[in-house]
Amino acid sequence: MDNEFIIQQLKEKFPDKVLKIDTSSDMLMMEIAKNAICDVVLFLKNELNFIYLTSLCGVHYPEQALPLGVVYHLHNLQDNILLRLKVFLSDEDPHIDTCVEIFSAANWMERETFDFYGIIFDGHPNLIRILNVEYMDYHPMRKEYPLEDSTRTDKDDKFFGR
Amino acid sequence: MQQFEAEHKIINPEDFEKNFSTLNLGPTHPATHGIFQNILTMNGETIEDAVQTIGYIHRAFEKIAEWRPYYQITPLTDRLNYCSAPINNLGWHMTVEKLLGIKSTKRIDYMRIIVMELARIADHLICNSVIGVDSGALTGFVYMFEKREMIYDIYEEICGARLTSNIGRIGGFDRDFTPSVIQKIRELLVELPKTINQFENLLMRNRIFMDRTINVGSISAERALNYSFSGPCLRAAGVDYDVRVMNPYSSYEDFDFTIPLGINGDTYDRFCVRQEEIKQSLHLIKSALENLPVGAYHMDVPEFYLPPKDKVYSEMESLIWHFKIVMGEINVPVGEVYHAVEGGNGELGFYLVSDGGRTPFRLHFRRPGFIYYQAFPEMIKGSVLSDAILTMSSMNVIAGELDA
Repeated sequence: MDNEFIIQQLKEKFPDKVLKIDTSSDMLMMEIAKNAICDVVLFLKNELNFIYLTSLCGVHYPEQALPLGVVYHLHNLQDNILLRLKVFLSDEDPHIDTCVEIFSAANWMERETFDFYGIIFDGHPNLIRILNVEYMDYHPMRKEYPLEDSTRTDKDDKFFGR
Repeated sequence: MQQFEAEHKIINPEDFEKNFSTLNLGPTHPATHGIFQNILTMNGETIEDAVQTIGYIHRAFEKIAEWRPYYQITPLTDRLNYCSAPINNLGWHMTVEKLLGIKSTKRIDYMRIIVMELARIADHLICNSVIGVDSGALTGFVYMFEKREMIYDIYEEICGARLTSNIGRIGGFDRDFTPSVIQKIRELLVELPKTINQFENLLMRNRIFMDRTINVGSISAERALNYSFSGPCLRAAGVDYDVRVMNPYSSYEDFDFTIPLGINGDTYDRFCVRQEEIKQSLHLIKSALENLPVGAYHMDVPEFYLPPKDKVYSEMESLIWHFKIVMGEINVPVGEVYHAVEGGNGELGFYLVSDGGRTPFRLHFRRPGFIYYQAFPEMIKGSVLSDAILTMSSMNVIAGELDA
């Protein structure tokens, strides 16, 4: 099995759901339409042996039309192929289906993504904050929140080129 | 929701009062070795359900990393799995090198292997001796800690620090192994197997220890894979996934070593797998040390590797690079990489997105402990409280890694 085979299989099965294919980085990267992500992950797991969910995390591109991203890393342990799936969501509708039914490991990873980025995983059994305190009212990893309080005046960073 | 209901029994309040009691294990409890809270529903001495609360030492490393130049992220990785900090440091350096497209030389690779395997031994020594402590055998712990001290002395000789090591640099090491480092490693190679043997004689075939650990906290290979277990916990369940063999980094492919496997995925198997891995690591260190190639201990990457101090004072170019690095004024090329190393607990991954700026655009740590700790309730359901404690220590859950 190689990247071409995976691409061909996915294109056959989900003709209009694979939005972008990129082989230029360290592994095969595909952008998937948000309503099909669970089907694609399930297909990859059952038919193409991607039985191991390596990681699931969020990423925020404030400049993009669809700023919120969810990144899945799947691993085919038999043929040793790593695969990166991306789904992009809008600020107004940050909903995506959960993968907990497919991978139990997704449970906390999705909670972490929700906690940090406010991405809501529909159907998740227990979608509450995991690392931050419950009463926090924002999602701290989004780019609009700087690391420090921007109104702070006792510290001048202009010489430090950051 | 259906799955949640299937996994967690829904009991109406009146019956609950009658039959069950709630026990708060943690957040600070001497038996949990760190800040973990488990809210246990107990039926007598049997655990009916457990809900974990984590995040007590969350320090927002992923957020901080987005505001730090690359070389300042190494100290953050120290504090993930602090029992094997050098693996985290070197894993991060290798991730950056992968993004930059630098291929390190064999000498650096072998030096890294030596340091990483030392860290793995330190990690496993702690974990296994603590399993002993939790099952009532304090003696082994003391002997093993004495040997861990030897490893920390080696770290100190290499980089000057002990626990949070900040070892190495992007592009190699800050200095070469001194003769005293080599000598201390050789000493360890002689001394450690003796202690390991004593420790194994104490526990491995000990009736009490076996009764306490066999079939305690077991998990099947299928469930373990579904929960994305990695490291000794996955291998104890019988799946031969080791990043060092599957996707070799740092020239691990040059070495011949065995990946120990368990069968039942229980506490005893995890103990035995770690024990065997210590021996394999010793073997790796030995062969890396014997075959250590000559050459430079760092690569020529002036953008990231600090020039020697005397040159900074005497050469213009070195002064400029020094200034640019320290002030974090190095632009990193656009790119996206995932790099994984076999940490003490399993696959430690770094997902790094760079937008061409001076800091990472996004850095995600795939912490093995965070991922497999969620299986804990499933593993202890139906067992007694004292077994839950043992299961937890055999999973080697490290609070720093859990909470990032």
